[in-house]
Amino acid sequence: MPPHGLRPQGRDRAWLLLLLAPTLLGLLLGALGSVVATAGLSLLHWDLLTPPGWAGLENYADLAGDRGFLKALGNTLAFSALYVPLTVAISLGIALLLNRRVTWVGLFRALYFLPVITSPTAVGLIWSWIFAQDQGLLNGIVTALGLDPVRWLGPRMVLVSVVIVNVWGAVGEGMIVFLAGLQAVPRDYYEAARIDGARPRHQLLYITLPLMVPSLFFQIVLSTIHAFQAFDYIYILTRTGTGGSTLPTVVYSIYRTGFGFFRMGDAAAQSLTLAAMILVLTLGYFRLQKRWGMPA
Amino acid sequence: MRLQASAALVCAALAASAVAVTTPARAATELTYMLWGAPSEGEVWRSVADAFEAKHPDIKVKVEVNDWSSYWQKLRVVVAGGNPPDIFAMDAPLYPDWQSRGALLNLQPYLDADPKALADIYPITLEAYRSDDGIYGLPRDFQTIVLYYNKDMFDAAKLPYPTADWSWDDLRRAAKALTLDKDGDGTTDQWGFWSEIGDPEPFWAAVVWSYGGDVISADRSHTLLAEGPARDAWHFIAGMALDDKALPTPEQLKQYGTDGFSAGIAAMTVSGHWVVPEYAERNFAWGVAPLPSGPKGRVTSVNSAGFVISKTTAHPQEAWEFVKFAAGADGQAALAKLGLAVPILKSVAEGPAYLDQPGPKIDQRVFLDALSYARIKPSFRGYEEWSTVVGDALLPVWNGDAAIDDALDEIGPAADDVLKAQH
Repeated sequence: MPPHGLRPQGRDRAWLLLLLAPTLLGLLLGALGSVVATAGLSLLHWDLLTPPGWAGLENYADLAGDRGFLKALGNTLAFSALYVPLTVAISLGIALLLNRRVTWVGLFRALYFLPVITSPTAVGLIWSWIFAQDQGLLNGIVTALGLDPVRWLGPRMVLVSVVIVNVWGAVGEGMIVFLAGLQAVPRDYYEAARIDGARPRHQLLYITLPLMVPSLFFQIVLSTIHAFQAFDYIYILTRTGTGGSTLPTVVYSIYRTGFGFFRMGDAAAQSLTLAAMILVLTLGYFRLQKRWGMPA
Repeated sequence: MRLQASAALVCAALAASAVAVTTPARAATELTYMLWGAPSEGEVWRSVADAFEAKHPDIKVKVEVNDWSSYWQKLRVVVAGGNPPDIFAMDAPLYPDWQSRGALLNLQPYLDADPKALADIYPITLEAYRSDDGIYGLPRDFQTIVLYYNKDMFDAAKLPYPTADWSWDDLRRAAKALTLDKDGDGTTDQWGFWSEIGDPEPFWAAVVWSYGGDVISADRSHTLLAEGPARDAWHFIAGMALDDKALPTPEQLKQYGTDGFSAGIAAMTVSGHWVVPEYAERNFAWGVAPLPSGPKGRVTSVNSAGFVISKTTAHPQEAWEFVKFAAGADGQAALAKLGLAVPILKSVAEGPAYLDQPGPKIDQRVFLDALSYARIKPSFRGYEEWSTVVGDALLPVWNGDAAIDDALDEIGPAADDVLKAQH
């Protein structure tokens, strides 16, 4: 049962609405407005300069034959398939480790959270030095071990390298979510389990993890959305001299198609396709969660 | 009562002073001029605008400078939003995209009324701005591509400097000899040559032309850069980059910056005048020479940046006056001092303002002489997307991940798709 304090009554309700109004209005006009506008745009041919013309579903049909978009879609899917499980697993692991009375626990938590609040552009540049071919930190270690230098940002490794940096940048946020989830698990459950003779392994499997399902679910959905929208680090690490990318993702393709190539309708169709994919995945997660019998 | 009275008095005084301020001069026309460039360019343009305002006291010009990529993004947004700047900078290859979409004012009527306006301009710099029914923009400066060489690296290798007699094969030999592993750690740390290689300018279009090939068909419907003699040109470039390894790969270059010559790791490069102010600050000696010639002669590329007037400006006459002023002798002389480009006026380019400009003592005439063997940088509707398709397909080749012929086979159809979508 939710605490009473969370349910505003009577006059409080009016106040709540009044105080939330600026944000709600912003969301309504800003976010919702641009979603509707994008949906409308995706049905038009529009080059920004001449009056738009009706396209119907043509922009969507054209996506199937658009080499650039298909390549970007493949990259985004491959990226997400690696990024989501890694981010969730690693941030859960860190949260479990830091949910105990360890010395310096505050320092460790701060260290893991640091990447979240640093500028991706600045850190991205440091990572490109780490990955650099001849003078990079990583290849310095690799060659010191007597191995051949690796082309970290070459075609075979670029996906892995980019995933590493993005996971590194995201585990801090996941850790916070999981720490909050862990601290909400009532202590007496563990006490009772210990009295019944449950080992730490059993406590993790039968108490912690089941009670963490809502946090896990939340984090998976969030990571998926982040994965589909990933841009900053990828742009910094993979951009090319001509303004292209060696690992173009869908968000990157949307940006170039609309603002580089005068094809706003196509860019809007790509945006909505991306949004639809995120929606389908999220709905899928919801169904899974229901099947596990946990309230969202 | 007293409060009301004094309030009324204050209002009256304010109104009177407002009248006093506005009556002497007529309401000034304010023009906005938007361009890309470094802050230093903005300052020079401000001084050009000040000189213009001194001659036209009833016109004020607001100069707004942005870096290259935010400039185009911002321009698209303000034009689409129906609030375009009165005058804005244009790059010739992108001009057809804007002109064909009706965003620009036709300057023909103004030129007809003022037949001498174009008299002193190098004709080739105007060509890119001609459309079927008139001229929709004026060039403000031009760029011819020449060869830059690092004298210190040539001296250290005891090699003679490049001359006007060089062929591409001479360049290749020198580049190979200048590619060195100076500290002996097994990896190259000095390359003989580097050039930006995604865009046709500065390097590959000139090589393709001098081998007798072409970039695109005259009717702009067919990409030719992979056909016939053009392929020999690509094999020459690939030989330098992949067989001799005389060029840093894009991945290698990234470790040093974006310009290998400026970073001091490449002995030669080809570029326009825009690099001169940057190279002037480097601590090595360098010089310029004409571009080497190919089997079918010497060809270089010329491109002109310019300015255009928005079709929807409320002050077309005033905007035209400013464009005419900036393209005239005073404006051009001020711009020549920047050292970023070559003036479009013959009288200014062949006078002291350009030839004796402040900065490094290099042979400025090399850039002027290049006009006699220059071809215009390709320019057509859809240029940006087309050049992206071409540049992206070739990138893996320069990194050693794809064969040049496979990439060229792939480029033709993909680039032609872009051209087809424009018709």
